[in-house]
Amino acid sequence: MTSKTRPVAQPTVRPRPLARQHRYFTWLSLSLMSFLALMVLIVYESRWVYPEIQGYFSQTGSLTGQQLSTRARVYLQNAQSELLSDQAEQDALDAATLDIDLAYGLTDVHIYRREYTCAEPSLKELDRLAALFVTRGIDRVAAAMALFAPIQCLTYIEMNQLDRRGAAINDFSESTRQHSQVLTYSSLLIFVMGLAFWWLHERQLKRTDRATQETFEWIKRAMRDPLTGIGNRSALHHDVLAQQHQSLGLILVDIDFFKQYNDAYGHPQGDTLLRQLATLIGETLNDEAQLYRLGGDEFAALLHCPNTDTLKRYCRQLIEGLREAGFAHPAHPDQKGVTLSVGGSCFVADEATFPNAYEAADKALYRVKAMGRDGWQVTEDA
Amino acid sequence: MNAVALHRSPWGRVRDRLACALIVVGITLPATAFAQALNMINGDVTQKVALSDLHAMSDTTFTLYDPYQGRDVEMQGVEFRTFLIEQFGEVPPALHFTAWDDYEVTLEGWDDPNWYLISSEDGDPLTIRTRGPVRLVERDYNNQGNGDRDVENLREFNDWIWMIRSIEAKW
Repeated sequence: MTSKTRPVAQPTVRPRPLARQHRYFTWLSLSLMSFLALMVLIVYESRWVYPEIQGYFSQTGSLTGQQLSTRARVYLQNAQSELLSDQAEQDALDAATLDIDLAYGLTDVHIYRREYTCAEPSLKELDRLAALFVTRGIDRVAAAMALFAPIQCLTYIEMNQLDRRGAAINDFSESTRQHSQVLTYSSLLIFVMGLAFWWLHERQLKRTDRATQETFEWIKRAMRDPLTGIGNRSALHHDVLAQQHQSLGLILVDIDFFKQYNDAYGHPQGDTLLRQLATLIGETLNDEAQLYRLGGDEFAALLHCPNTDTLKRYCRQLIEGLREAGFAHPAHPDQKGVTLSVGGSCFVADEATFPNAYEAADKALYRVKAMGRDGWQVTEDA
Repeated sequence: MNAVALHRSPWGRVRDRLACALIVVGITLPATAFAQALNMINGDVTQKVALSDLHAMSDTTFTLYDPYQGRDVEMQGVEFRTFLIEQFGEVPPALHFTAWDDYEVTLEGWDDPNWYLISSEDGDPLTIRTRGPVRLVERDYNNQGNGDRDVENLREFNDWIWMIRSIEAKW
């Protein structure tokens, strides 16, 4: 025989304990915060490097990217060319004067005066030459020669400024390298921390799931009759509450003279009879019913019941199915096989209506017993 | 100072004064010789604004730390936005500048009251030697949303346009 009884319904999931939830949230949030910190670090470093690079190289190739001293030196060299050219005296002096003025304007800056001792004398020399050009107090070759000193000074400034710029770029390069290292190691550390926190989160999640599964298993065991494998009284109560507002039928089944059966065959055989009856009841009611053992020799079946006629049909099927099975009962006072007393009631499932339905089905059962057992009764209005 | 210096001949004093005058003339002459006017170009029309007129319309005087000179300088000029409206009718979307040192650049965003076109410093007209005859400066360069600028880093003041020779409206 195989049991067709439906398994006991899964209990509803209970919320995790608060402390466990808190820990679960903490690992997850730490992991997410780590990855967020990694992103913030990368963005910060990017924003640091870009303006520095722009500061050093954005004007490369343009006129403003050149040093003032370079431009001033070029103007003085142009002035020399003008002075030594074949053009007319006045034109040459005018052109040279403009170049010298431009060079003066580019050289006369505070930083050059402060940092380079040759700057001040060079500016004075340019002043002197400009004045001599006005009075024509110097010949063109001598003037061109006189410009060599300021040109030398500007070349020195130029070279020195280039050295400084090179040193600044080296410092920047070194600083960038250090930042790059910090970024690499920090990113690695934060990434590993993020993974570790994520792993802890996953482990916690698995533990929580395992604990939930264990709880489910424990609840299932707690709601199952260990002898027959069907639900117990707690499962019945739970299932009724799980099907609220549905029209249900409750059938109570009691084995007649089961004590005498045990006395005759012994308790192990009595247990076997209980298992066989559980299977038989399940098969007789097809898959429509959920079965429960309420204790001793008392069973219950819960099924959908649109009306009492359906319930009566099930009760009749049960009695007839048992008679067909023909289980022997050597100690039956009426020399019959194993017989059942069956009582039933219909009700609309609710926490308040179930006790009434149970009482009604029980009364029907006792009416059967009072009438000599081996039969069924249904209470019409539970 | 020695006795000889205290008893210089009258001819010597005249000669010194002449030399001083020549130096002054030498310094101021280039500006007068080369930079007499600012060219304002609007399409095919070029209008020369005489430096004397520019000095006359320079109605604002303020003191500013000039990083190029490393000191506070009293500057006199005109609000550049107002000047552009007077010259072009409105502030052009972009301006093309040409400078006496051959620098050329086109820049946008001149509808900004912070920019001044200055023509005098400490009471003296700007010359090419003093990065004139006109120059664009920011009156409040530390209040531009970029934080304080490093006055030791002259690259941060590259947008101060010197030795302006012409300004062309770009519509």
